[in-house]
Amino acid sequence: MAKFILRRLALSAIIFFFVTFIIYVLECSLPTSYVEKQAMELALRPGNTKSAQQWIEELNAQYGMDQGIVKGYFTWLGTAGKGEFGDSWTQTMPVTELFRKCIWYSFAMGLISFILEIIIAIPLGVMAARKQYSMADYTVTVFGLIGISMPTFFVATVLKLIFSIRLGWFDLVGMQGRNYATLDEVGRFWDLVAHLVLPIATLTIVSIGSLMRYTRTNMLEVLNADYIRTARAKGLPERKVISHHAFRNTLIPLVTILGGSLPGLFSGALITETLFGIRGIGFYSYYAMTGGDIPFTMFYLAFISILTLLGNLISDILYAVVDPRVRVN
Amino acid sequence: MRKNFNEVLKERELREKETSEEKEMSLDSSERVKVLSPGQMVFKRFITNRLAVVGSAILIFMFVFAFIAPIFYPYGQTEIFYKYDNSVVDLAQAKVRNEYTAFYKEGAEGVHSSVRNKLTSTITSIEAAGAEEGTIVSSEGDTYTIEKNNDAIYSLFASDYKEICNVGGTSKVGVYDLVGKAIKYEEDVTEVSGLEQKIASAIKDKKTEVSLGGVTYSIKAGKMKKYDIYATAEGFNYTGAKLGAEFEALVSETGTSGSFEYNGKTYSVKTDKNVTTVSEVAGKNFLAYLTTYAFDAHDESTALDDQFKFAALDAIVNGEGFSVNGESFTVSKEDEEFVVYKAGESEAYAALSTLVIRRATGEDNLELALKEKTREVIEEMDASGERTAKFNWEIAQVDANGEYTYDENGDLVKEEREITITNKNGSYTLTVEQVVYLIDTFARPSKEHIVGTDGDGMDVFARMMYGGRVSLLVAFVVVILETILGVIMGGIAGFFGGWVDNLIMRMVDIFYCIPSMPILIIMGALFDAMKMKPYHRLAWLMVVLGVLGWAGVARLVRGQILSLREQEFMVAAEAIGLRTKRRIFTHLVPNVMPQLIVTATSALGGVIITESTLSFLGLGVKHPLATWGTMINSVSTAEAMKAYTYIWVPVGLLICLTVVAFNFVGDGLRDAFDPKMKR
Repeated sequence: MAKFILRRLALSAIIFFFVTFIIYVLECSLPTSYVEKQAMELALRPGNTKSAQQWIEELNAQYGMDQGIVKGYFTWLGTAGKGEFGDSWTQTMPVTELFRKCIWYSFAMGLISFILEIIIAIPLGVMAARKQYSMADYTVTVFGLIGISMPTFFVATVLKLIFSIRLGWFDLVGMQGRNYATLDEVGRFWDLVAHLVLPIATLTIVSIGSLMRYTRTNMLEVLNADYIRTARAKGLPERKVISHHAFRNTLIPLVTILGGSLPGLFSGALITETLFGIRGIGFYSYYAMTGGDIPFTMFYLAFISILTLLGNLISDILYAVVDPRVRVN
Repeated sequence: MRKNFNEVLKERELREKETSEEKEMSLDSSERVKVLSPGQMVFKRFITNRLAVVGSAILIFMFVFAFIAPIFYPYGQTEIFYKYDNSVVDLAQAKVRNEYTAFYKEGAEGVHSSVRNKLTSTITSIEAAGAEEGTIVSSEGDTYTIEKNNDAIYSLFASDYKEICNVGGTSKVGVYDLVGKAIKYEEDVTEVSGLEQKIASAIKDKKTEVSLGGVTYSIKAGKMKKYDIYATAEGFNYTGAKLGAEFEALVSETGTSGSFEYNGKTYSVKTDKNVTTVSEVAGKNFLAYLTTYAFDAHDESTALDDQFKFAALDAIVNGEGFSVNGESFTVSKEDEEFVVYKAGESEAYAALSTLVIRRATGEDNLELALKEKTREVIEEMDASGERTAKFNWEIAQVDANGEYTYDENGDLVKEEREITITNKNGSYTLTVEQVVYLIDTFARPSKEHIVGTDGDGMDVFARMMYGGRVSLLVAFVVVILETILGVIMGGIAGFFGGWVDNLIMRMVDIFYCIPSMPILIIMGALFDAMKMKPYHRLAWLMVVLGVLGWAGVARLVRGQILSLREQEFMVAAEAIGLRTKRRIFTHLVPNVMPQLIVTATSALGGVIITESTLSFLGLGVKHPLATWGTMINSVSTAEAMKAYTYIWVPVGLLICLTVVAFNFVGDGLRDAFDPKMKR
């Protein structure tokens, strides 16, 4: 097992290396006007003593962009390895500080919608599988499919129309109400919660369908298995067949996939956060990417890559842990 | 001709029946069981799945809607619609002139600007004082007089001078150079004989003043041994007879410039370079007429030049007719107004009035009759103290393009409209309601536009169709691209195994790990920065999406091929000695087809979502190309979201419906290909 994990880790490191390299190449092939724009701005600041050209050279040197792509990449990798990611250009603060500032909003949103997703999707999926081709099954299938099929921005827009504009329950965008400054600590917390309701609802609606379908498919597969027929033939009560024999086996792929998506809770919701103006990592990275903020973009993309790799690793390990049959191979 | 399998079976059984004559019924007899080919089986299973059928129906509808319906729909995706709307437009402005315009006599145009600038203010002060005349003194000290002719006409005169004397003052004579022992005289100063010796001795004696011929010269030391010499004349130097002490007292009372009267004569005092000159005003010289009258030609095509205007004013003042360019005119006064007639004609040629009426554009081409009517109405308004008044008048009809319409005789078509005059602080505005041609933005759904028009005045329904075309096209091209890439890479990896497999699978891992949405957003920003054309951008977007998506297909194909290549038919294929390419692409890949079709169908929906999200963010397909995403984005502000739900909700539903349909069909196909999942 340890050897397996070590091999996977080594592989992940290699993949991470190449992914960040590709991203770096992409970032460097962006028009240099971003660096130039930044240099112009820096050159125009009060108290500035350098010319724009000097700033361009300095910025290029700072991000290793004057040494060619390959060498520059290793420079970036070297400083990133020490935990130094430079200053975000759009937010003018160290990247790591910005990350600490925004990550918890993203994580809170991700975690709550993840829990909601599990609570709603798994029971519905199991129910649909138990009564295949019933009305309940069709309803679950159709609603699950619709959930998958709706683009995030459309769900967000519809929710905004209904709950923000028509009913006026929540603010349209942002994280603070108009009277935020007058509220006490507890009031501020509830204000924040109120502003997170619609984004979390959006995330849940969009992601619930696939988990529901996944549960249903796996449950169906298990229910078709021979040992279920055996269990039934032995005369076990249906409740026991489902909860003891079928559901536990369905949990194998479910735990694998859910465990794999745990790191993803930190990755933020790019579209949702941007549309609702939630100052999470997705929001900042969106504006960093469109605004050519190379330091933060590089950091964000490297972070996402690590999360993805970690997710794959966790699900591989969990697969082996949960299902004894895999360990044999 | 190939026969249907069922027919072949039936024929064989009939033959057997004839030979055996036994009426034995077997379980798999073709009379009882219809044998289906694998394809037919899949098809039969597919059409018995209700959701799949619904999905197919939706997709067929979408394709017809997006690809065929636009052919018959009258509007294009970038066609901008206009509408006629009644809009209140400014027809004309009327204002009582109180600025005086000067019409100069020929050869008298060169009046000093300091005088020109003072004309109106001087007349205003004359009016305020109730006087008949006033004077202006130019910055050069010349005196001009203005005399009143009537309420709106004044004459400007310049005074004629005769120099009487000059009064002492200090003026610079020149510079004395000690080295050259000579005076460099200032311009227009005449040399004084004997001055140089006097100054030389004065400098030697360190005196600062010398006097010579009744003039005192003062010496001021300058730089480089040079001395500035100033002359101070003493007393009055008359050019003619002396006028006495009383006169001189008046001169000093007047100061440096001005005028005074003495012995019934007017004298003017002027100072130039410290020398004050007193002159007698001998007479006055007519220069110009100043008037607030505006000239309105009766015929719009007649342009009245300044020569004509001067002559007309002259005629009014002197009460005679005039002739300009060989044509003679008469002037008569009618109702507080002067009207000019051409000799021998009874119709007015031009009119003079202090009320200026011009089109809102500033052009002076309103017909005279309308101007006269307006004057009448404004007089009534002034008399009654009303702020607004209305009257009907026939004005030229304007068509869709804002141009005049003509009837078959080439005459202007006129229609009667109500003109409103509003008085605002003495300036009158004539407004009229006219039909104007506007871009029809955000039109409500109507017969012409089923779903209305968008913010650019384009038909939303047409854009929905064309948007569907783009979305479906992008989806298909991208999925085909990633399938081709995936099949090639996965096929090679699965078939060869070993280090090739390892290499390709690590590539797959890398592409799996690359965060696609951020990359797409970066690419969108990059395309923005490059200012790509919409169609190029569309093509590049498809390429990027395809390249980012092939890894899943490759992994699927490889997995399938790994299990398939161990099977007997592949051993047989190898045993017959088939070439590798043929073994992969004619024996292995067709066996992967079912899974490929299923994943591709579901992937189509995913691509549509990605594309519309990108377009919604403004980073995908760009205006003027329509896509569903951009259409929703165009009404994403809170106000628009509320007001134009009839635009974005149907579009959003179209996206959902299409993606749902692809998923239904994908599910249906999977169930049909893989009946194990069915109980």
